[in-house]
Amino acid sequence: MQVLTRYLRLYFALGRYGLARELSFRVNFLVKLFVEVLWLGILLAFYKTVFGKTTNVGGWTEPEYLFFVGCYFALAGLIEALFLANCSEFAELVRTGDLDFYLLKPIDEQFLVTCRDIDWSSMANVFMGAAVMGIALYKLDWPFDPARALVFLLMFACGSAIAYSMLLLLTSASVWFKRNQSLYELWWLFTSLMRYPREIFSGKWASPMGWFFSFVVPILLVVNVPARLMVKFLDDPALVVFTAAVALVLLFVSRKFFRYALRSYRSASS
Amino acid sequence: MKPVASPHDVDDAVEERGRETEEDVRSIKEARIVRIARKYGNILRVSLIERLTYRGDFFLSTILRFLPMVTTILLWQAIYAGAGEKPIAGFSLHEMIAYLLLVHISRMFSSMPGLAAGIARDIRDGQLKRYLLQPIDMLGYLASYRGAHKIAYIATSSLPYALLFFLCREYFDRLPDLLTLAAYLCSLFLAFAVGFFFEASIGMIGFWFLEVTSLLYVVNTLNFFVSGQLFPLDLLPPFWAAVLKAMPFQYMAYFPAAVFLGKIQGADLVRGLLAEFVWGVVFIALARWLYRLGLKRYSAFGG
Amino acid sequence: MPIIEAHGLTKIYRVTQKKEGFLRAVRSLFRREYKEVRAVDNVSFAIEPGEMVAFLGPNGAGKTTTLKMLSGLIYPTQGSAQVLGFTPWDRADEFRRRFSLVMGQKNQLWWDLPAADSFQLHREIYSLSRAQFTRTLGELTELFGVSKLTDQPVRELSLGERMKMELIAALLHQPQLLLLDEPTIGLDVVAQATIQRCLKDYNVRYGVTMLLTSHYMRDVEALCARVLVISHGRVIYDGPLARISEQFGKSKLVKLHFENDGVPTDLESFGEVTHSEGPVVDLKVERTRVPEVLGAILERYTVVDMSVQDPPLDQVIARVFEEARVQHEASSQSS
Repeated sequence: MQVLTRYLRLYFALGRYGLARELSFRVNFLVKLFVEVLWLGILLAFYKTVFGKTTNVGGWTEPEYLFFVGCYFALAGLIEALFLANCSEFAELVRTGDLDFYLLKPIDEQFLVTCRDIDWSSMANVFMGAAVMGIALYKLDWPFDPARALVFLLMFACGSAIAYSMLLLLTSASVWFKRNQSLYELWWLFTSLMRYPREIFSGKWASPMGWFFSFVVPILLVVNVPARLMVKFLDDPALVVFTAAVALVLLFVSRKFFRYALRSYRSASS
Repeated sequence: MKPVASPHDVDDAVEERGRETEEDVRSIKEARIVRIARKYGNILRVSLIERLTYRGDFFLSTILRFLPMVTTILLWQAIYAGAGEKPIAGFSLHEMIAYLLLVHISRMFSSMPGLAAGIARDIRDGQLKRYLLQPIDMLGYLASYRGAHKIAYIATSSLPYALLFFLCREYFDRLPDLLTLAAYLCSLFLAFAVGFFFEASIGMIGFWFLEVTSLLYVVNTLNFFVSGQLFPLDLLPPFWAAVLKAMPFQYMAYFPAAVFLGKIQGADLVRGLLAEFVWGVVFIALARWLYRLGLKRYSAFGG
Repeated sequence: MPIIEAHGLTKIYRVTQKKEGFLRAVRSLFRREYKEVRAVDNVSFAIEPGEMVAFLGPNGAGKTTTLKMLSGLIYPTQGSAQVLGFTPWDRADEFRRRFSLVMGQKNQLWWDLPAADSFQLHREIYSLSRAQFTRTLGELTELFGVSKLTDQPVRELSLGERMKMELIAALLHQPQLLLLDEPTIGLDVVAQATIQRCLKDYNVRYGVTMLLTSHYMRDVEALCARVLVISHGRVIYDGPLARISEQFGKSKLVKLHFENDGVPTDLESFGEVTHSEGPVVDLKVERTRVPEVLGAILERYTVVDMSVQDPPLDQVIARVFEEARVQHEASSQSS
């Protein structure tokens, strides 16, 4: 318990100073915010254009798909706000050797490497995504169901945990792959998989791929499970349980891999 | 020649070589074509070595580059399934996917990563002085440098892309005739010009504003949509489609792809190519004009 | 009871050979060639609490690598060490609380924030109580003379001031051991002197053990009574600073002040004339020959004043490194 308070205090302090720093570059902050709004606009424009020509995508109707978009935007925004910028600096830390400073502190290295800074401009995405989800639920005439909302939030957390773990695995790999392609690009490619409902993976060669990215490298579950849970009822409880289990396993595995990467860094650095 | 150790070394090495070549010109009279060939040869060689040096990254990035393509194809299959397999805005499913693949090729020619940021940085750091002191035309130098880099990039990417297109050959129902192909290649080279001088113009804004990178961020995000990289502009409501087709950004992605697919024919095609040419000229003029204006301001303030 | 004990610390690296030329680059895609580098070679020593010890050596000698092994940042290939009673590379939380590592020219503080904010973050990281933190901070800023600067963003401070802030941050949690890697590198002479003074004061006041690496003699002379000279990963000397000349100095500097018109012209036979201005001549004489040379000169000429000194320490050290380098190259070529 004492450890938890300690880390919370530290996180709060980091967040406070991070916000101060970010606001001191006001123009930059506003521009980033503007671009996030633009990006949401593009996603929604795509969505509207597509549904002007079709009635459903992979079994998702128009308002259901809108919810999916909002869920994606919020979740990706959460990861980007809390973790992405920190992780993308890792490769540079390894290259310059400045990672040493984080290894010297009596604080868990994973915490310092992944959580030390909050990107507040991306935090807005979480709220914007939530707003889109709210609008979609309204369009669906969703009957307020606190139990379902709770499980949704739980699955949202699990999806985030899966995305975080995958990010950590990618980040740790920078110890060996002296970067040529930044982590942002890799993350972009990664999110392109979770941007659409996994039901589109149907067909002769797509199904096995869909299976692979659902059960071996479970990227497709990240947004799909919480979103589907909310709009289509609990039509696959096994998948929900699986998602929760996978989230825990991946958190554990990614942490082990990260520590392994650190050991390798420490053997090689001079 | 020191062994190449990092992408940054490459840039330095190329810069050095570029400068050496300039000095060669002044001291030894040489056929211009030989000079150019040697310079491009060097840049090409260094770029290829750079790519081979990062072997792990090379393999990984090649694989990962094609994942979004897969999801895009699947998405559109699902969209067309929901629309009853009927053509959308005149594009059949195959044509849609072919379009999205072709947009990659357009982008290979028209995307200029780091160009505007590099110019703005040179202005800010004072590196611009070297263009003032030496008889090198910055735009010309950057254009040829980019051109050489593009060739290297296309050369090293041609194998994976050829593989991709081969795997997706079923989506290309028919190949264009020779005339259309010629027009297509024309549009690609013009796309390079439009893309280059447009980004260069944005870079020139660095003479007046410090935060060019922020502007760039906004422009690139918007461009992603308005150039037709997400879907063919024909999908938009007629009013918006017309607006976007009147703008130069379509040439950076939509136009060449549409030409290849035969969506733009006859008089429209000629008009389109002409317009692309005109836009290229406009942006060259704009970039040059901003450059001259900026230099005046720059030297007035002592840099 | 030594605060640091190192036994046979060794660190060997395998370095890939990058090849020039296109064909070789292609070949390296399929097979890589390696070379072994002994960065640290069988280094052993013991340091008592409160000591101020310097690792002196040329660039690439292995000083920083040794320091990093003692901090737990690097695993040794062979050998063992005990620091503050811990094995460093286990990196126990308790261990990390009790020492600090400061690296010259590397910034730990947040760049855009005032130093005061970075200190606050340090307080959270090390879980220092408010009372203890405020008191320690007050003492440190006074000692280092930067009380008025803590509210300025770090990027606006001069290099010397930034280094002081780094040191304060390193000392906030009152470590028992302070490791410094080239702390004055890149600083101007005045800043160097200030940092040296602050470190000395801190050591005297609080008895903190300090271990610093440097290739600047001035750092060493100002701060440390004891020196470990490292070259090519090996310790070639461990002892008081004063005795280095004795051990390594092959020559002595004889300063001679002759009568105004009595400056001899054949001094070359006695040694090397390093400096000559009017009646004053500096003569570098082989150590063993000094008595004989002095006798000969005093016999033949009239000397108003004279002194026999050790040559500047950095010259001695420079020569030692040069000899060691030559020796190392010779042995690696024959292998």
